[in-house]
This record gives sequence, C-alpha cells and structure tokens, in this order.
Amino acid sequence: MRTARIAVVAVGLLLTATAPLWAHHAFGAEFDPNAPIRLQGKVVKLEWVNPHAWIHIEIVTKAGTKEVWMVEGGTPNTLLRRGLKRESLKFGTELIVDGYQTKDHSLKRANGRDVTFTNGQKFFLGSSGTGAPKDGRDPTEMPAKKPPTDR
Amino acid sequence: MSLVRPLFRRLPLAAVLLASIVPRFVDAQAATATTSKSAPARARYVAPRTPDGHPDLQGNWTNATLTPLERPAGLPRALSKTQAAAFEKVRADTVESTAKPSDPNRTAPPVGGDGSTGAAGNVGGYNYVWIDAGDHVAFVNGELRSSFIVDPANGRLPPLTPAARAWAQQRGARNRRFGQYDNPENRPLAERCLMSFGSNAGPPMLPNGFYNNNYTIVQTKNHVMIMTEMVHDVRIIKLGKPVPRSPLVRPWMGESWGRWEGDTLVVETTGFYPLQELSQSVGLGGAWGANDSLRVVEKFTRTRDNVILYRFTVHDPLNFTAPWSGELPMIAMEEQIYEYACHEGNYAMSNVLSGARSMEREAAAKKKSNPPE
Repeated sequence: MRTARIAVVAVGLLLTATAPLWAHHAFGAEFDPNAPIRLQGKVVKLEWVNPHAWIHIEIVTKAGTKEVWMVEGGTPNTLLRRGLKRESLKFGTELIVDGYQTKDHSLKRANGRDVTFTNGQKFFLGSSGTGAPKDGRDPTEMPAKKPPTDR
Repeated sequence: MSLVRPLFRRLPLAAVLLASIVPRFVDAQAATATTSKSAPARARYVAPRTPDGHPDLQGNWTNATLTPLERPAGLPRALSKTQAAAFEKVRADTVESTAKPSDPNRTAPPVGGDGSTGAAGNVGGYNYVWIDAGDHVAFVNGELRSSFIVDPANGRLPPLTPAARAWAQQRGARNRRFGQYDNPENRPLAERCLMSFGSNAGPPMLPNGFYNNNYTIVQTKNHVMIMTEMVHDVRIIKLGKPVPRSPLVRPWMGESWGRWEGDTLVVETTGFYPLQELSQSVGLGGAWGANDSLRVVEKFTRTRDNVILYRFTVHDPLNFTAPWSGELPMIAMEEQIYEYACHEGNYAMSNVLSGARSMEREAAAKKKSNPPE
C-alpha cells in the first residue's frame, strides 16, 4: 500500500515537472478567451506548414452566407512521422471545431482546441479510408516506434 | 484503426514489463561503474567507426523523455521500476483518454477561457495528437532517472547568484516599460522563428516537452554537425585545437570546439550570442540567458547501437553559484526528421500583434465613449 502511495505521489510530481512550459507561442496571446466559437464545415484548404498547420474550413452562417475560417493546429512534422500527410485529410471532409477566435476579430481564425469528425471521432482517427496510419493496409505507412531501449 | 491506438496499446505493455523485469540493458559506462564480485563480466560495447577511426555518432536521434531537467522534491535519483512504470502509464492513459471521441453536439467552450495553463494559455491549445513529448523515463547507467541533473546531487539547479537575480529584476522592469506585444522584437526568439524552444539546440541540448526533439548528426574528419529539428538550428563543431576567436564573433549556440577523449567526443562551447535565451523550456523562468562567462562542456559517448549517452556541464558563474551537470540518453530514431521552415506559416506572430492592436483600438474607443468625469 505504501509503495502504491509513493508511486502515485511520484507520478504527480513528475507530471508537474514535465508539464509543457513553452511552445512556439503562448496561445493566450493569440486567441481571445472571451470569444469562444464552434464551427462546423468542410475542408477547403490545408496549409501543412511549420510552425503550425492551418486547416481552412468553409462554414455556412445562420444567415446562410458562406465563410472560410482558418483553424490552427500543431507542427505537421509530428504527424508526418506517424505517416500522416496533407493528403490524409481530403478536401470536402466535414469537421467540427471548438476553440477561440483570434483577438483581432476581423480575422476569421481560431485555434483548433478540439477538432473532430462529425461523429465526434478525433482528428485523424478515422478508418483506413481516411488515411489513418499503421493499420497494416497502407504499404507506405511508417513502422511503429520502438521503445527507446530494451532496458 | 486509429492513429494513437498502436501507441497506447504498446505503452501499458511496456509498463507491465518494466514492473516485472530486471533491467537488462547496462551500457558501457555502467558496466564499469557497477561491476561487483557477483556480477558476471560484461563485454565492453565497441561503437562502429568512421573511416578515420573514431566512433560513429551519425544518424537521427531523439532525446524526448518524460524525465525533467530538475528532480521533483521527495524523489530519489533513480526511480523504482514501479514508479517509472506508473509515470509512463499516466502518459499512456493521457494519450488514450485524449483520443476518445468528443460529443459531436458539443457547444463552444466557456466564455472567459477554459482554464488551461502553460502554453495552452486559457484557450486550450490544440488536440493532443500533435504532441510528441516522449513516453518513457530516461534510462541512464542502469538507472531510471528522475532528473537530468546529477550534480548537484539533489538533482536541482544550484542557487542563482545575486547578479542573476538583479538581472531578472532589470529584465522585468524593461518588459514593463515596453509592451510585450508592441513589436516583433519584444517577442521570444522561438516565436520569431530565430531559435528553437529554450535549450533544444543548446548547448546543452535538452528536450522541449512538446515535440520535434530530434537531431541529425553528421561527422567528417574535421567537423561534427548537429542539426536540431526545431527551427532548423545547426551547430558546426570544429575538431582540433581551438583557434583564438575575435570577441566580436559570438554566434547563436556559441562557438564549439570538439576533441576525442578515447571513444567520447568532448565539446566545449563559449562565445554565445548574448541575446540567446536558454531557459524557456527548462523551468528557469527568465533567469538564464547567454553571457560572456558561459561555458558548456558536452560529452557524447555511443554506448549501444541505438543509444548515445549525452552528458553536459554548465559553467556559468555569472548566474549560478556552482557548475551543474546532467545526463540523458539520445535514442536512435527509425523515423525521418523534417524541415522546420518556421517563417513560412508563422501566422501566429501577425495574429498576436494584430490582436494587441485590436485590443488597443477597442480600449481607446471605450475610453472615448466613456470619458473620465
């Protein structure tokens, strides 16, 4: 029992110690916490670039007009290593995004706090047909990452 | 089949294995350090060689790990297998839980922010699928390490000097004079795409806690090149007897000279560019930047086909009351590393600045419509 408690404490301490402290930028400086948004629309463009990928989706407003919003993701390098390319997300795919709009409200941009398909599945977690990697059906997929050492 | 499922399916297995087996891997240095009468003699690992006969360090390597720079209070230097496995399971559970489907009928997040801290900045950042911060505790010399720092023995940074504290205060005062969003020059180096996060490129080269903690090493007879994936930072290490440099030459990441001591590449770096920030991702706040007195010694030893033992000592008498040293493994990667053309899509910078201007306009309009009585 004591060992278990120590392990729990250790986990808590280490998690605190390794919590990300910095990224390419602080999101709080870019996005407005008082401007939450929920967007649903189809992918019309992908910028698979560093330091952040940007997904462009076309939505239809309540007034019936069309708007294109840019949604910020992370570095594409991580996903490329997992076998996911720009082509993995097809144009026309419908997504749901919740996040916060940029502080400059004249821009139609938001962070992709949670990006999912319309059934709630997380971004890039679809079936083989969506280009998801490592399911054995794609001969070009990257090999699974091995543990760092056979300690 | 999902993207992350193979990842989290593998991790609990690793945790179970860690909890049930005795570590089998002991690298060359550990074999020397831990030999006892009862332990069988282990063959010394001999690294592959370059054409000029030195250990071959070339390839792609990653230092992503769950182990932090500084040891959390109350933990020993070497974690037990149970502690390490529990820690790794938490990361695996995080990956699994964040991959679960969301409610497709969810509404927008709360007004006023979602309470997220750190870089997520109260607006939530982005999905965890983009993060690749490492999923294992660092394993060095037969120990599951709770920190990189091994000297001081408590695994913590030495106390700051009075000069460092004064400098931190001056920096704070300067930042209060000039708005941090006034212009690009007031933004951090990483945000300006000038340098990798914190000390990713170093030296010392430390993981950033987020992603792209990857390096490519290329050797020639006279040089060693280390490219850091983040922001494409490239270190050129000259081999041989150092040639005195002009004090006016102070490049990013300093000037590095290397030499071989047996099978270990020893690199000494001085002459750092004074604006280089080394602290952003290593928990030092704004208290550590490059300076004229900074000297970093690094040691690279290939201890196994897939492991380079990376050791470093920081000599910074201006900022720290004592030198400090650390150790962490660099693990061979099977995957490729990619270009990080940071300026190409850096909308974040313009968004941050235009957001600040927008808020200034908003405040001015509010003031105009509600003049003070």
